[in-house]
Amino acid sequence: MNIIVCVKQVPAKDAPLAIAGNWIKESDIGFEMNEPDSYALEEALRLKEKHGGEVIALSLGPERVKQTIKEALAKGADRGIHIADDNFAQLDPLGTAKLLAAAIASQKCDLVLTGLQSDDHGFGQTGVLLAGLLNLPHATLIMQIEALDGRLKLKRELEAGWFQWIECPLPAVLSIQSGINKVRYATLKGIMGAKKKEIAVVTRESLGVAIEPTQKIERIYVPTKTKKTEFLTGTPKEMAAKLVEKLKFEARVI
Amino acid sequence: MALQREQLEADVLIVGAGPAGLSCALHLANLIKQHNAGGAKPELSAENIYVLEKGREIGAHQLSGAIMNPVALAELVPDFAKTAPLDTPVTDSAALIFTQKSSYRIPITPPPFNNAGNYVISLSKLTKWMGGLVESAGVNLFKEFGGAELIYSGDGIAGVITEDKGLDKNVKPKDNFTPGYELRAKITVLAEGTRGSLTKQLVATKKLDNINPQSYGIGVKELWEVQPGKIQPGFVAHTLGWPVSSKMYGGGWFYGLQNNRVSIGLVIALEYEDPRFDPHAAFQTWKTHPFVRNLLDGGQLVRYGAKSLPYGGWYAMPRNYVDGGLIVGDAGSFLDSQRLKGVHLAMKSGMLAAETIFEALKKADYSAKTLQAYKEKIDHSYIKTELWKVRNFHQSFRNGMLDGFFHSALQQVSGGRGLIDPMRVHAGHEAYGKIHGRPAPERFKGDGKLTFDRLTDVYHSGTRHDEDQPCHLKVSDLNICATRCVEEYGNPCQYFCPAAVYEMAKEGDAVKLKINAANCVHCKTCDIADPYQIIDWVVPEGGGGPNYEGM
Amino acid sequence: MRILVVTEQRQGKWNNTSFETLVAAQQIAAATPGAVSAAVIGKGVAPFAEELASKNVAEVLLVEHDLLESYTPDGYCVALKQVIETAKPDLVLFPHTYQVRDFAPKLAASLGKGMIGDCVGFRSEDGRLVFVRQMFQGKTAADVTFTGAAPWFVSFQSGAFRADLLAAHPGGKAPVNAAQVTLSAGDIRTKPLELFKEAKSAVDLTQAPLIVAIGRGIKAPENIVQAEALAKALGAEIAASRPICDEGWLPMDRQIGSSGQTVAPKLYLALGISGAIQHVVGMKGSRTIVAVNKDQNAPIFEIADYGIVADIFEVMPALTEELQKTKG
Repeated sequence: MNIIVCVKQVPAKDAPLAIAGNWIKESDIGFEMNEPDSYALEEALRLKEKHGGEVIALSLGPERVKQTIKEALAKGADRGIHIADDNFAQLDPLGTAKLLAAAIASQKCDLVLTGLQSDDHGFGQTGVLLAGLLNLPHATLIMQIEALDGRLKLKRELEAGWFQWIECPLPAVLSIQSGINKVRYATLKGIMGAKKKEIAVVTRESLGVAIEPTQKIERIYVPTKTKKTEFLTGTPKEMAAKLVEKLKFEARVI
Repeated sequence: MALQREQLEADVLIVGAGPAGLSCALHLANLIKQHNAGGAKPELSAENIYVLEKGREIGAHQLSGAIMNPVALAELVPDFAKTAPLDTPVTDSAALIFTQKSSYRIPITPPPFNNAGNYVISLSKLTKWMGGLVESAGVNLFKEFGGAELIYSGDGIAGVITEDKGLDKNVKPKDNFTPGYELRAKITVLAEGTRGSLTKQLVATKKLDNINPQSYGIGVKELWEVQPGKIQPGFVAHTLGWPVSSKMYGGGWFYGLQNNRVSIGLVIALEYEDPRFDPHAAFQTWKTHPFVRNLLDGGQLVRYGAKSLPYGGWYAMPRNYVDGGLIVGDAGSFLDSQRLKGVHLAMKSGMLAAETIFEALKKADYSAKTLQAYKEKIDHSYIKTELWKVRNFHQSFRNGMLDGFFHSALQQVSGGRGLIDPMRVHAGHEAYGKIHGRPAPERFKGDGKLTFDRLTDVYHSGTRHDEDQPCHLKVSDLNICATRCVEEYGNPCQYFCPAAVYEMAKEGDAVKLKINAANCVHCKTCDIADPYQIIDWVVPEGGGGPNYEGM
Repeated sequence: MRILVVTEQRQGKWNNTSFETLVAAQQIAAATPGAVSAAVIGKGVAPFAEELASKNVAEVLLVEHDLLESYTPDGYCVALKQVIETAKPDLVLFPHTYQVRDFAPKLAASLGKGMIGDCVGFRSEDGRLVFVRQMFQGKTAADVTFTGAAPWFVSFQSGAFRADLLAAHPGGKAPVNAAQVTLSAGDIRTKPLELFKEAKSAVDLTQAPLIVAIGRGIKAPENIVQAEALAKALGAEIAASRPICDEGWLPMDRQIGSSGQTVAPKLYLALGISGAIQHVVGMKGSRTIVAVNKDQNAPIFEIADYGIVADIFEVMPALTEELQKTKG
C-alpha cells in the first residue's frame, strides 16, 4: 500500500507569538511537526508495517520544512517531497491543496493521509479539498482503518459519542483523528538512515500550478477582553440563585 | 524486566550539545577531514562521532546571560564575525552598586566587569548555529536523546545507555515503549553542563574529586522586549548590592541586545545560610529597583529560564580523563567565576578534548594514559592561565562580601595566591542553618506586569514534558522530607527551585512532598542544594524540558 | 445579499447549531441587507422544513432524494452543488459541525470557490463582510475576507451565535419549496454503515458546550462527586486543571490548559481554580466564564464574567440545588 502523508510544519506550540500583520515573526521561534499530522504519519507507518508498500512524507513551505520531512523519514517514511514555497503562510486552503494535489498526482499512491487541522491556521480543509481536487473518495475524523482487498473499512467519529463505520474504495483521502495512536519515537538508526533518504524538491512552476486566492487574512490580533467581572454577593444560596438567573437571562447560556 | 537493548557503536560519543560538546564535535570533524584529505591512515570518519542532546532542538536547553569572549570561537570558526549569530559587540560595560532606592556606577569599571572586545550573545542561538555546522560536517547529531546511565569498563567508561522512552507514570511500558540504546564508544565525552547527571556518577564512582567540592550558583534570567531608547544594544551592566545581602554572594545583570531586547537576571551562590531563601523571588525583587523598573517600564516579558553554574574553578575541577572518557565544559568546572565567563573556556576545553581524541584514534589507544594528554593540553592553554589566576576567587567569599573583596584584592596582586592558597571550602548545601521553629516566610506573589510568580515564569520558559512518564526527580527517602527536613530546614526545595517543582502538601497534620516534575527547567539546583543530598536528577524522556530558543 | 443556510439533522433530530447559523444569517441579512433561505437535506425530512418555515426566513428549500437518506460527502456535494447553481445565493452558511467539515470545503471547491470555516463572528465594514476566526489554537483572532465573486462559503463555530435569538416569521410562514436534484448511485463512492454509540475512550472537551472545571480548591478526590453532581444538573462535562489530573483524581483527557485541551465552550464554570496562566490559556476563549474561589485575588477573576468569592463547598451544593429547581 503506497501512502502519501501530508505533514505540515508549524510554529512550536509554546513559541511566544509576535504578530506581524497577518502572520507572525518567524525569527527566534522553533518549528515542529503539526501534532495532528503526527498521528496521520503514525497511522501510515502502521499500515505500511501491516500491508507493505511505501510511505512518502509531503510538505509545503520554505527551506525549514525539510526538518519536518526529515523527522518523518527518521520515523520510517521512505522518502520525502518538499514543495518549496517561501510564501506558504499566505496561501489559502484551496491554494495549499492545489499545490499538494499536484505533487500527489505525480506519484502512484493508494492512500493520502492528512491530520485533522493545523495548529497554526487551523483551517481543517486540506484533506477534504485534496479529495475534491484529486477526484478521490474521502472520509474525515478517522479513528480506525481496516484494509481488505482494495477496499477500506473506516471508523469515523461523530459528535456526542456517536461513531459510524463506512466502506470506502481505494484510492482514497483520509483525515485522521488526533490521539488515535501512540506516536512512535524516532530511533537512532532511523535518524541516521534519514540522512540517506531522498527528498525531492518541487515548486509551483515545476508542478505547473497557477493559484488564484479565494480569501485573504487581513490581519491577526490578540482579542482584547472588554468585559468587567461582575461579583455576586450574598449567602451561598442567594449567590447561586442570582447566578442561575444571570446565566439564563443575561448570558443566556443555559 | 530483562530488556533487550539495541547496541550501537561509535568511535566517539559526546553527551550534550552545548558549546563544549559541539566544539569538540566540530573540531574533531575538522581534524578528521584534514587527516583523510591528506591520505593518512587509518582513515577516520566524522560519521562515527555521535552527539546526544536531550533537548528538542539544539539550543533548547542552553541558557546564559551571555557575554562571550570570542577567543575560542575565532579558533574554531575563523570567519565567525561574519557567520556566527552574534547579537552585538559590547559597547559599554558598567559596574553598578544598588541600594534599595538608588544606584551608583563605579567610575572606572573594575577589570573583571570590563567586557570590551566581547560580544553579547544568545547562547541558544549560537549553539543552534554551531549544531548546523556540526551536522554539515557529517557528525551524527541526535536530538531528544539523553544519556541515562554510564557503561563502565575497566577503570573507565565505554559508552552510555540512553533513556527508555514510552514508560508511563508507573514505569510500565506504553504502546510506543522503546528501550534505551546501549551506545558504546571508544571515547565518551561528558559535556552535560553543570552538575551533569552522568558526570556526577562518574566523579563519585571513580573518585575524581579535587581538593574542593564544586561550588555552585543559580542564575535566573528573563528576556524582555522594552520600549525603544531604554537601553543601547551592547550596553552591559552588572549590579552588586541590593537585594543580595552582604553575607551572600550574588549579583544582577542587564545586557542590551538588538531590537529593543534586554537580557536581565540574578545569580546567587548556592551556599547561603537561610534554607528558605528564594532565588527566584530575589530576582523579582531586584527588578523592582528604580533603575530596573524604569528599564522595563512599558516592556514585555518574552522568556524565562534558570540554570546552575559551577563557581568552584580550578581547585574544584574533577580529574577530567579516565579510560575511554573525558569531561568538558561546565561539567568539568571550566568557568571563570571572577569574569563570569564560561563559554569560551567550555569551547576551548571541547577543542582540546578533540585534539586529544584525534591522537587517541590514530593510535587506537583510548586509555587514561593516552587521554591524560587532555589535562596536559589544558595546563598549557589559556584555560589554565585564566583559571589559575582566579583559583581562589569564589572561595574568598565564603564568609561574605567584605571578606571576599579583601581576599580577592590580595589575590589580584599575587597572581591568584592571596593569603591562603588553596582556600578550602565545604559544599554549599552544608551551609544551611537550622530554622529552629522560625515561621515560614510569605511566598512572593508578583504583580503580573513587572514581577511574576514562579508558575507564570515557568509558562514563559516553554517547558513541557510528556506528563505520563516516570518522575525524573528521584528522592531516595521521602520520610526525611516529611519528618527531619520539615523540622530542621523547613523543606528548602520549595524555595530554591525556580520552577515550582517541589511542594509540601498538607496531609492531615503532616506534610508530604509533591513533585510537579513537568515544570522542571533542568537547572539541577535541587540536586545541588538539597541539604541531605537525597535528590537525584536523572534525565527524563528526551525532548522534554525548557525551550530557550532565541533566548 | 442572498443567504442560504444549510441546516443539519440526523436520525430525526436537529443538530441545534443549525439554529445558531440561522441567527447568524438573520444578523448578516439585517446588516447587508439581504434575504435568508434555509435548506433541509435528506429523505422524509419535510417536518424539519415545516419547522423552519415558521422562522423568519424568506424560503425553505426541501432537498430530498433517496440517496440523501444517509449522509455521504459525495451525495451532499452533488446535490448541494445543484441547489446552489439554481438558487444562486451570494453567501452559503453552515454550522461548523463534524459533518460540515467533511464535505463543505469540497462543495465550495467544486464551484471554484473557497470557504472560511469555523468563524466566531462577522463584521460588516464599508459594504463588505469581514469574518472573524481563531488562529494558533485561540491565541489570536484573524479577520478574513473573500476575494473574488460570490458564492462565498462560511461555517460558524458552535456557540458563536445564540440560537434563542432566532426570530419567528413575522407574517406566519415561509414557503417550503422542493429543490429538484439529480443523483445516481454511481455518484456516491463511500458506503455508510450503521451509526452506533460508544463510550468514548477519550473525552473531546473541545466539543462540550458547557464545562464545569475543578482545581486545587477541591482538596480531595472524594469531593469531586459534588462537582460532578453540579455538572450533571447543568448538563455539563467535568474538566480539571493539571494538578487534579496529575494526582490521578481525574483522567488526563479531562485536563484543560497548556498541557491539556484548549476549549471555548459557551459556559466555563471554574471551581477552586486559581487561574495560573498554564490553565487560563486553555479556556480564556470561553464565551462566559464563572469563577468561584475563596481568594478574592485569585487571577482567575481577571478573566471571569461572573465572580463568586466564597467557599466552593458551600457554593457547589447551593448551585446544584438551584439548577435542579429550575429544571424540575
